[in-house]
Amino acid sequence: MKSVIGCALATLIFASGAAQAQSEITVWSWGSAAPGLEATIPGFNAEHPDITVKVEKLGYSDVKSRVLAACAAGGVGLPDVFQFQNIEMELITAQFPECAADLVPLGFDAGAQSAFPEFKLFALRDEDRMLGMPWDSGPVVMFYRRDFYDKAGVDADSLTTWDDFMTAGAAIQAANPGVTMINDNLNGGTENFRMIAEEQNCGYFTNDGQAISVAEPGCVAALETVKTMVDDKLVAAADFNQKITNVTANAVATLMNGAWMEGVIRNGAPADQSGKWGVAIMPSITADGAHASNFGGSLLAIANNSDKKAAAYTFLSYALGTKAGQITMLKDQGLVPSLTSALEDPYVDEPSAFWGGQKIWKLILGRLPLISPINGSEFFSDADQVMLSVQTAYLNGQYTSAQEAMDDAAKQIGFATGLPIAQ
Amino acid sequence: MRSKSKTMLFRSLALHSVLVPLALLWLLPLWMMFVFATMSDNAIFSPDIHLIPSTQFGENFAKLQGDIDFVRTLIVSVVVAVIYTFFSVALTSMAGWALARYKFLGRGLVVAIILGTMTLPYFVVVIPQFIMVARDFGLSNTWFALIVPPLFNSLGVLFMRQAFSLMPVDLFDAARVEGVSEWKIFIHIALPLSRPMLAALSIILFLHSWNNYLWPLLISNDRSMMTAPVALGSLFGLIDVSWGGVMVGAVLLTVPMLVVFVFLQRFFMAGITAGAVK
Amino acid sequence: MRRRNLTAYGFLSPYLLIFAAFWLWPIIYSFYLSFLSTRRAPWTFNPSMTWLRITQDTAFYNALWNTLKILAIQVPAMVFLATVLAVLLNSQLLRARGLIRFAFFAPVVIGEAAYAAVFRLMFNTDFGIVNKTLQAIGLSKVDWFANPSAAMSLIIMAVTWRWVGYNAIIILSGLQSIQTDVYEAATLERVSPRQQFFHITLPLLRPVLVFCFVLSVIGSMQLFAEPYLITNMGGPGGATETLGLFLYRQGFLNLNFGYASAIAYTIAALAVAISALNMWIGRDRT
Repeated sequence: MKSVIGCALATLIFASGAAQAQSEITVWSWGSAAPGLEATIPGFNAEHPDITVKVEKLGYSDVKSRVLAACAAGGVGLPDVFQFQNIEMELITAQFPECAADLVPLGFDAGAQSAFPEFKLFALRDEDRMLGMPWDSGPVVMFYRRDFYDKAGVDADSLTTWDDFMTAGAAIQAANPGVTMINDNLNGGTENFRMIAEEQNCGYFTNDGQAISVAEPGCVAALETVKTMVDDKLVAAADFNQKITNVTANAVATLMNGAWMEGVIRNGAPADQSGKWGVAIMPSITADGAHASNFGGSLLAIANNSDKKAAAYTFLSYALGTKAGQITMLKDQGLVPSLTSALEDPYVDEPSAFWGGQKIWKLILGRLPLISPINGSEFFSDADQVMLSVQTAYLNGQYTSAQEAMDDAAKQIGFATGLPIAQ
Repeated sequence: MRSKSKTMLFRSLALHSVLVPLALLWLLPLWMMFVFATMSDNAIFSPDIHLIPSTQFGENFAKLQGDIDFVRTLIVSVVVAVIYTFFSVALTSMAGWALARYKFLGRGLVVAIILGTMTLPYFVVVIPQFIMVARDFGLSNTWFALIVPPLFNSLGVLFMRQAFSLMPVDLFDAARVEGVSEWKIFIHIALPLSRPMLAALSIILFLHSWNNYLWPLLISNDRSMMTAPVALGSLFGLIDVSWGGVMVGAVLLTVPMLVVFVFLQRFFMAGITAGAVK
Repeated sequence: MRRRNLTAYGFLSPYLLIFAAFWLWPIIYSFYLSFLSTRRAPWTFNPSMTWLRITQDTAFYNALWNTLKILAIQVPAMVFLATVLAVLLNSQLLRARGLIRFAFFAPVVIGEAAYAAVFRLMFNTDFGIVNKTLQAIGLSKVDWFANPSAAMSLIIMAVTWRWVGYNAIIILSGLQSIQTDVYEAATLERVSPRQQFFHITLPLLRPVLVFCFVLSVIGSMQLFAEPYLITNMGGPGGATETLGLFLYRQGFLNLNFGYASAIAYTIAALAVAISALNMWIGRDRT
């Protein structure tokens, strides 16, 4: 009852023109995206001094579980704006379409939408409604230590296939004691598997989201590749924080990730590593593969319960919808803009001292058109949990073949979702 | 006589050579909590072993407050625990009184229910509780949601029933003869007589609420209504969290309870052993 | 005691009201939910998405297996340790009694979030005091968070550290309630202390020990915060995923309330069954 009165009161105040007054909006964000977003605030406030933006930094899984719990509670407790992963957004569009505000009436009409690529808009759409604004995308590249590669005489650009990569890995580990070729979460996530599989155009679900495609050849080959690398002892298990620790400790030669790792490495590595890092195109299972994949990438959504939707949208359209906002985040944290026009900014042609003078953004952005995006579907978490336990079991030798492992994964995902297995 | 005291000495030595190292081992995590809270993150993640407190407590506290307003979450925790304890003690002592002092239709059933729920894990109700409180009532992030649903408690009732049934009946009968109402007998005679039991129960219930993790994790999303343990746990996932700061939070969560424990140990023990006594 | 229905229910009603609203109704509702597919709105009757799934879900079996491991290893080990501790702490010979008791009893007041943080740092692979000590005495370091059995033993150690004092308190009070003249008589009859322990103390302690077992079983069945906070949500790769964590994942991360309800009922059934078994084994046979 109280909240009803509160709402009515707020509407009254709003209608009577008090909207001109200072309003504060709160954003939930995680990881390096949070400081990136904070970096846009000075530029935003130069244009809109009447809107204060407060970014609350939380862990990724914390944002996710809190948003879902709040949505399940009818949107109570959400901040004005929250970050969500593109690949998981369908959980909200399918289960709680009323939880996130429709941005179309706020100004995100067809014209404004066309500034973003279709693959970033797809998961946000609920019929005619648009439940978020695309933020960044995660074209996958290899971040590698030039000094470690050089010591073994390996040219990173020559590693076309995963077989090349593994041969080079053995040489690099031999030449650099204490260094592991690559890190993978393994214990808590399926990161490398997903990146390798998507490069082969295979995801958990078919592109229409109506069938399970995890047992298709591309995914099977990806799982085999992960296991071969682990069996050859080229992988150290490391979750996100451990990866950063390993970077600092000079203990890892390569990290495969969405491009947003750029800022994490650049800002997290000790100063004496500047100039020692490089960026290379990802290997493929076959030499003629796309060598492109997407990992991560988020959006910002406005809570439907927020009474400051207009102010929140003003912020979104600056931070995500202008070149100035997007380039600030690219410079600060390496967040790759979804906004197509930002990709033509002169900044992307500049060499970067940390990366040994390489024009990294030219290479990274060159991957974007080659990505064949996959559908996360509303059941992404279910599928990913199954995949993680199947991957663990397969790595421990509990299946005779990768195909058998993936057939089992498909069966389990079928149970969890009720969807058929793609034929 | 002499040989007997020798045996005693030997036994005493054996006893202490087992217990003292074990006690030190058991104290280590607690001690390390304080040590970590005074160390910079660089020192925590360094190759040396540090066992002596350092000087960074204030800096760590500042970092903790910077990551999350921890003082506010402590206030939320205190308010929730105090109100929860008051209502829970009130409910359980009233129910315990009824079960100890009156014969009534369905008494056996009520006792059976209370004993039955003791063996039921909380998980069996958490999902519907969440659906009901959060979705149907829309009460996430409210004091009501943090305090009321966890109020049901079977151990407390059994404990209070035990306390009241040990009191001499004559006492109450005398009052009844004088025409004192049942409610007044309960408030003015029974409750004052059971003060030590109420203290023990209050301490245990307060502790229970203070450390409760799952339900507040589910029901409070908003930082302004987060309890301290949930806020502390939410820091683990940050990529650049200050662990020294987290440890300061752990110390702030733990020290008040340790103080209560040291000074009111008797009541603590009574509260914990309550369930074991039939 | 007098028959007074109205008065009695007057005193009982607030308590019963809370019970009805937040326990009775949820238990009934949960049962109903466990037959629904809650994957898409509207929820429909489809037990194959819940009860059939649970029989075939390897992730569920993994969580069940992990929980049973804890039940089989941690619970008996802890109750045993607690009994030994209680006997030792009860000894007349003990010096610095207050301090030593404090060491074992203090963890009772510590919340999961606080001690999870300490254990994470103490067992840190590269910089934790545990691995540093292992290396200092010539052993190799253990990767507590990446090695499945090491992670499981970490959870077991953490839970034991937290709860052994709690159980020791209960057992100690049981010991102290045994009349001293029983022992005096036995000593006069030249019954050795060891025999006294096995033939007098243990049988008299039986109800208390059964109580400890039942409490610990229920506690283990709903172990959640430790694997959630210490081993990063049941890591590595589900090696410390417990039934409680699995339920949380299905219910609150996948928002599959129907399936989570089926899991909840399974946990409850197991808890009741194992507790009943405990009580049956520990029943008074005289």
